[in-house]
Amino acid sequence: MAAAGGFRTVEPLEYYRRFLKENCRPDGRELGEFRTTTVNVGSITTADGSALVKLGNTTVICGIKAEFAVPPVDSSNKGYIVPNVDLPLLCSSRFRPGPPGEEAQAASQFMADVIENSQVVMKEDLCIVDGKLAWVLYCDMICLDYDGNLLDACMCAFLAALKNVQLPAVSINEETGLAEVNLKEKTPLTIRKEPVAASFILFDSLLIVDPTAEEEDLATGTVTIVTDEEGKLCAVHKPGGSTLTGAKLQDCISRAVTRHKEVKKLLDKLIKSKKAK
Amino acid sequence: MAGLELLSEQGFRLDGRRAGELRQLRARMGVFAQADGSAYLEQGNTKALAVVYGPHELRGSRGKAPHAQALVNCQYSMATFSTAERKRRPHGDRASAEMSLHLKQTFEAALLTRLFPRSQIDIYVQILQADGGNYCAAVNAATLALLDAGIPMRDYVCACSAGFLEDTALADLNYVEEAAGGPQLALALLPQAQHIALLELNARLHQDHLPRVLDAATQACRHLHALLDRVVREHLRDAAALLGK
Repeated sequence: MAAAGGFRTVEPLEYYRRFLKENCRPDGRELGEFRTTTVNVGSITTADGSALVKLGNTTVICGIKAEFAVPPVDSSNKGYIVPNVDLPLLCSSRFRPGPPGEEAQAASQFMADVIENSQVVMKEDLCIVDGKLAWVLYCDMICLDYDGNLLDACMCAFLAALKNVQLPAVSINEETGLAEVNLKEKTPLTIRKEPVAASFILFDSLLIVDPTAEEEDLATGTVTIVTDEEGKLCAVHKPGGSTLTGAKLQDCISRAVTRHKEVKKLLDKLIKSKKAK
Repeated sequence: MAGLELLSEQGFRLDGRRAGELRQLRARMGVFAQADGSAYLEQGNTKALAVVYGPHELRGSRGKAPHAQALVNCQYSMATFSTAERKRRPHGDRASAEMSLHLKQTFEAALLTRLFPRSQIDIYVQILQADGGNYCAAVNAATLALLDAGIPMRDYVCACSAGFLEDTALADLNYVEEAAGGPQLALALLPQAQHIALLELNARLHQDHLPRVLDAATQACRHLHALLDRVVREHLRDAAALLGK
């Protein structure tokens, strides 16, 4: 065991290749297998919606807080969704103190793009009074334990938290013109699309699903595919690295579609058990 | 404070506790795999997560690092969704910088830093939900995380707050009681030797009352010590059972 540990440290690539030769990975998974995913919703009562997602060791908590704002000038009937991914020092010893690193910023921007393009929630639904008042949904995703595949975990946590959001009813007082919030009457959001991400790494012309942090470090490229519940693509993200053939990309997409079914089943079961209580 | 009765005539508080009673404590050690030590702790509705890395080589500037002992590096942050009003900055503002400093000072008093010269111990605390006693929850969670990391300490560090209201000392204040603005004391105690690691009182209180408030906080800390000790023992028993198969 100790010898294997030493081999792993000194020759990580060779160590990893030996596993792949046997069609498995150091943690015992097959190449196309995701880690065990667990979801817990509504654990943070100070947030309007929250979810904790564990993907193997990777842990992401998403809390959504709703606030009032004036709608943007150019589209007066829209609200805002502001995603933010935070990789604090506590999630891994690889991050350094200071302003948000490149990875955190790239992940935030990726989330913002997917939310914008997939139209998971219509921004018109967030408008309360045209040109006067709208909801802002601040979606903060904090990584608590970093072990690779941040995007999949963030996307899953975001979707689960969004399903958990309960917004209070708002009415405008005719006399004073001020907004009145009725905390007793709460309604869930209308979710139009359910984007779910699946990430892959490229290693020696092999496609490996749901990488751990160790695997991400060894990989020569990554691919992330986001699909909705009808199997339509919401995003394809391949940031450089080693090249990929079209056929391989098709493999990624079909795996992403099956992954969507797995996640949807998990979330549906969770929502059903919440309702039963 | 009028209109909001923090202490009923029968001696019960808003959440149904008696004056010296603690909120329910739930804790787990070893929650994360890649950190050297980690712990999750709930005190009532306050939820804190502590992660410890180290002792490891010094990082960053060596200039301010002490020579003969380990550098204790703390960061306290609050999730943006942890409070009723969304926080703009999770860390780096004055309140959390002060809290980070308090944590550092508390644990410098308890850790055997002289055993690890020229090295660094990182303690990171994240508050996920805040309902009063954030400092105390942070200290208690960090103690469990340090124990999980196996870093030698003089003793547990148990922290608890206490307030003073209508001639009664209240232990372990929640947010409503804190926000009412009465005198409030935070105490971090090494319970075996009854040494005080940190004591902070930020309001006017007649000095004749101080012993009673301090006494209430001390009692609460000793009670917390028993609870934390039970968590540690249960964790060790489970870990030993796993190792022994």
